[in-house]
Amino acid sequence: MTAEAPTTSEQLVAKLATASAGRGRRLLVNVALYVVCMIGALAVASVIIVVATDADPFDVFHAMYEGSLSRPSAIGLTLDRAMPILITALGGVIASRAAMINIGLEGQVIVGGLLGAVVALKLGLPVAANLPLTLVASALGGALWAGLASLLRFWRNVDVVISTLLLNFVAVEVLSFALNKSYLLQETRDNVQLLPQSDRLPSAHQLTRLGSPPGFSVSSGIFISLVLAGIVIFALGRTRWGFRLKMLGMNPNAARAAGVSMAAVGGGALVLSGALAGLAGGVIFTGTAFRIQPGFSNNNGGDGLLVALIARRNVAATIPVAFFFGAMRAGGGFLASTGVPRYLVDVVQPLLVLAALLPPAILFVWDRRKALRLAREEAAAHERPALGAAA
Amino acid sequence: MNDLSIILSSAIRLTAPLAFAGAGEYVAERGGSLIISIEAMMISGAFFGIFGSSVFGNPAAGLVVGMVAGLVVALIHANLSYRLDANTFVVGLTLNVLALGLTSFLLETIDMTPHRAGEIKVPLVHNLPVIGDPLFVNRWTVYLLIVVVPLAWYLVQRTRWGLELRACGEDPQAADVTGIDVNLRRRQSVYLLGILAGLGGAALSVGQVGLFNQNMTAGRGFIVNAAVIFGGWRLLGTMAGCFLFGAADALRLALPAIGYTLPPQVLIAAPYVAALLALCFFAKRNTKPEALARPFVRGIT
Amino acid sequence: MLASTPPTVGAGEAQASPAPAVELRGITKRFGDVVACDRVDLSVPVGEIHGLLGQNGAGKSTLMKVLLGLLTPDAGSILIHGRSVVVKDPLAAAEMGIAMVHQHFSVIGALTVWENVTLGERDRLDPKRSIRHVEEIAERYGLDVDPTARLDTLTPGQRQRVEIVKCLRRDPSILILDEPTSVLTLSESEELFTTLRTVVQEEGRAVVLISHKLDEILHATDAVTIMRDGRVVDRLVTAETDPASLARSMVGRSVSLRSDAAALGLLQVAEQTATSEGGADASAEAAPARPPVLRITDAHHRAPDGRVLLDGLSLELAPGEILGLAGVEGNGQAALEALLTSLIHLDSGTVEVDGAEVRTGHPGAMAKAGVVVIPEDRHVAGCVLGMSVAENLVLDDVDRVCRRRIVSPKLIREQALELIERFQIKTPSPDTPMASLSGGNQQRVVLARALTREPKVLVAAQPTHGLDVGAIEYMTEQLRAAADRGVAVLLISTELEEILALSDRIAVIHRGRILGSFPRAEADLERIGLMMGGHVA
Repeated sequence: MTAEAPTTSEQLVAKLATASAGRGRRLLVNVALYVVCMIGALAVASVIIVVATDADPFDVFHAMYEGSLSRPSAIGLTLDRAMPILITALGGVIASRAAMINIGLEGQVIVGGLLGAVVALKLGLPVAANLPLTLVASALGGALWAGLASLLRFWRNVDVVISTLLLNFVAVEVLSFALNKSYLLQETRDNVQLLPQSDRLPSAHQLTRLGSPPGFSVSSGIFISLVLAGIVIFALGRTRWGFRLKMLGMNPNAARAAGVSMAAVGGGALVLSGALAGLAGGVIFTGTAFRIQPGFSNNNGGDGLLVALIARRNVAATIPVAFFFGAMRAGGGFLASTGVPRYLVDVVQPLLVLAALLPPAILFVWDRRKALRLAREEAAAHERPALGAAA
Repeated sequence: MNDLSIILSSAIRLTAPLAFAGAGEYVAERGGSLIISIEAMMISGAFFGIFGSSVFGNPAAGLVVGMVAGLVVALIHANLSYRLDANTFVVGLTLNVLALGLTSFLLETIDMTPHRAGEIKVPLVHNLPVIGDPLFVNRWTVYLLIVVVPLAWYLVQRTRWGLELRACGEDPQAADVTGIDVNLRRRQSVYLLGILAGLGGAALSVGQVGLFNQNMTAGRGFIVNAAVIFGGWRLLGTMAGCFLFGAADALRLALPAIGYTLPPQVLIAAPYVAALLALCFFAKRNTKPEALARPFVRGIT
Repeated sequence: MLASTPPTVGAGEAQASPAPAVELRGITKRFGDVVACDRVDLSVPVGEIHGLLGQNGAGKSTLMKVLLGLLTPDAGSILIHGRSVVVKDPLAAAEMGIAMVHQHFSVIGALTVWENVTLGERDRLDPKRSIRHVEEIAERYGLDVDPTARLDTLTPGQRQRVEIVKCLRRDPSILILDEPTSVLTLSESEELFTTLRTVVQEEGRAVVLISHKLDEILHATDAVTIMRDGRVVDRLVTAETDPASLARSMVGRSVSLRSDAAALGLLQVAEQTATSEGGADASAEAAPARPPVLRITDAHHRAPDGRVLLDGLSLELAPGEILGLAGVEGNGQAALEALLTSLIHLDSGTVEVDGAEVRTGHPGAMAKAGVVVIPEDRHVAGCVLGMSVAENLVLDDVDRVCRRRIVSPKLIREQALELIERFQIKTPSPDTPMASLSGGNQQRVVLARALTREPKVLVAAQPTHGLDVGAIEYMTEQLRAAADRGVAVLLISTELEEILALSDRIAVIHRGRILGSFPRAEADLERIGLMMGGHVA
């Protein structure tokens, strides 16, 4: 059957959504929903706090605020925490534009950081070259790891979702192996029990910091991430490559007919997202961690993925969302002062994310119901009463 | 031979939690739902299983509480994704973080006295060489699989509910036209997954280890996803996939004791690599439910 | 749940006492500003095959969706056997004895025939019993189906039989069929009509046959209700009417049966038209044997699951000629279309454009060589629904609107406005999402994009599917104009009327190969029909 009438309920809903008459009111409703949902999330968190500990929820939230936004040094910390998440998220958005779901960002961060550390610590490069090459190497590491998944997809048709997922776990083991072998990345010290960690990165090879404690202090990596964000936003929105990527993600058949190869462009997007994740690993190493230890990636990849998924329709949104995630991390560090385990951050943050998913979903359902009601009212106004029509 | 028996025992013990969740995800994926919050369901089941056993003083109650915990996670995921249209990957990943954070948090703030499930020795047969110990000497939670796995198969392949679910997984538009409520069936399959994955987590904590550790499930939820794909969306294949991981885990623990020295990382990574290789060369992709991971929106109202 | 058995009546004779099987009174349905159905009355007596005739867009499908419970009418009532009912969803419709034989939307490939037939029932699953039911129905109505076969192994004709079995299983009072013969060969259509006659006569049921094809209506129905622009414009007894009046009522103006034979679904007329006028003929003769611009040689392709899609297909196309490729759906047309869209890679065989071989399966290679396709299902590879109209108009030639790899929104907009004007695409603005456009306008976008590339070869697959007569006339003009300009046109269609009306040469495709080709003048229905069924005449 062909669609004879040009409009469907969906289109009526869309019309309602953009009707200028109600636009102002609609914005208000939207904001109100967000506020209500956020407060709801915080309320749930408060209940958990009260039930499980002696702490006062307000103290807890205040501590989180103190740690993240209350003063310049806190903001610096937030930015430090946000920058690798932002870079990873940019990679995630690129992949998702091409309809590639790269769940392996965490693994790519790990391999990137690993390779970057090898270059930084083991090659004895001159100071001027060390930092740039470290970052390049870390991008390369991430690209290679994602490239594995790309290879498996286009050579053997293995789903990207599952291959990147499994490779995450392999990456953790690769790192662990490297950190336990002195010929690889393990630290070099004399006559002492060697720990599974790398040497510390000499300060000459670190990313410079701007400002200094106790005031505002942030790693220059923040500029790298913001510049990259600008480039990615421009590239996705305004270049021929971005257009093709969008086409590929929305309709791979139409893209192929138009000359866009899934393997080349889609695979390329996957590799590029891996490169960005790897770079984030390098930034973590040279910007804040200075030493590779097991777990150094600290779920930056996972958070980056989440940010990318949340911001997938609008790349620019990665910046504020990554900032939020960074704030959560920074705030979490302060929780210990209230006697509450820092895991609470991992409760508050996802609750807020879930809360943020609710308003658009609720609005969608409301619009649908309204559209149906309007249609019925209109009919009643014009026609004779509906005999036998369902209510 | 004794070594083999020990390894097999260990393998069965390590496979059991995966198998419960695997049966659940098999059901869900046949309906077209790719759920990545299995980790959240399992770890919630693990924690609240111990919690339940502590509060009620016996392991069976713990298992029940664990199943409820898994169900709660499933309720959130299913309703956000299959009633309210939120992106299933966002919801799944977020729930994983939430569950991990919450269980870690509660572990440090609540005191519990766990009760572990008791051991069963099936009379006579447990003396069989090699397989006697692994198959017939286990904590009783493992034997629940005997009921759960065939039930899952029967549900999907032999009942009307299962037929309708499979229709939703292959061609939701056609199923809709035939009068089947696609999103309802999908939600129901996810609820079942929650119960079974919660049971799997509880089987791990209450049924086996006897306590809860932070991040106890350590990614097992994702292994279950791999197992279903490895098994070609057939229940037997899924169980085989779960066993692959269980056995690899058991080998990792056992090999040093027997005298082989392989780097531990190689052993830990081995099952994941094996799964990847299997997917490369042995996966039968034409058994994948057509509509897997595609949200259903009614075409024209 | 049995259908009520009315007293025996002669076919077509309605007595005053028995209530009609189904009656729709004053049904109105709006979608926003559009009135799809406007106070429509329809009455179908028991034992009758009733035609519902109208162009695409006339409101027939909407009306049937109301009857099936898929839509809620804004006004009006429905009576089943004289009782007023409320049909609130498809389940309720099924319980009231209303069943529809769907085309593509109701059977599931991965399940078996019996599983599909029992899908939607409520009781316990019992394979043996269901298989038995299928066999019973198949025997009673002379339908040839294998209960245990997997549905995706069946041909479209067989699938339709499964659909019919599925409907009859519910013991319906009213059976609705929507354009059923588009997937059938001529002989299968005859079988279908015979089956329908059995259904209504022996069981006291009624059938509603929705169609836009006059042939189908004239051939198979007892009475016909004609709809236009959402209203009922005429009710006639089929035996007492003729194609001309039907056409006039359907379209609303005097229509030349000859020039619109394709659009009206008049096979005989279409066949005779071009032969008598000889117009298309003459141009085919006048053009000497020019070297073919497109040559496909011995193409072989297997689908991933092993099915053979192209089995040694060879064809040649000369510039300026329209080659009509006739065939029943499912005989390789989709694979041929995919081949020429660069979507599939041949296992063996070659494709040459202007003598130069083109890499098959290589993204964009066909388009670069000058082969442009207007796809059958534009949503598959023809357009990107998520993008705007303007973006869709530049889809395969982005370079043209770029300045040094940077996309220029200004150039896109300019190009879009020009094309919207030239091809009369109805859209509120160039930035409107493609998904908001009507089917006909989406098709115009695809056509516009195809023609502006000035292709050497234009492939049009089912180009007038789902369009109203006006749009069909437009599309036909465009294709003919392209051919006059020297473009080689390959017209792939399951509608014989369309093939006969447009083609200079005709070929028939069957099971992935070309069974034969001949000039239009030599075309005769019987021969084509035989070839479509696989017999080389």
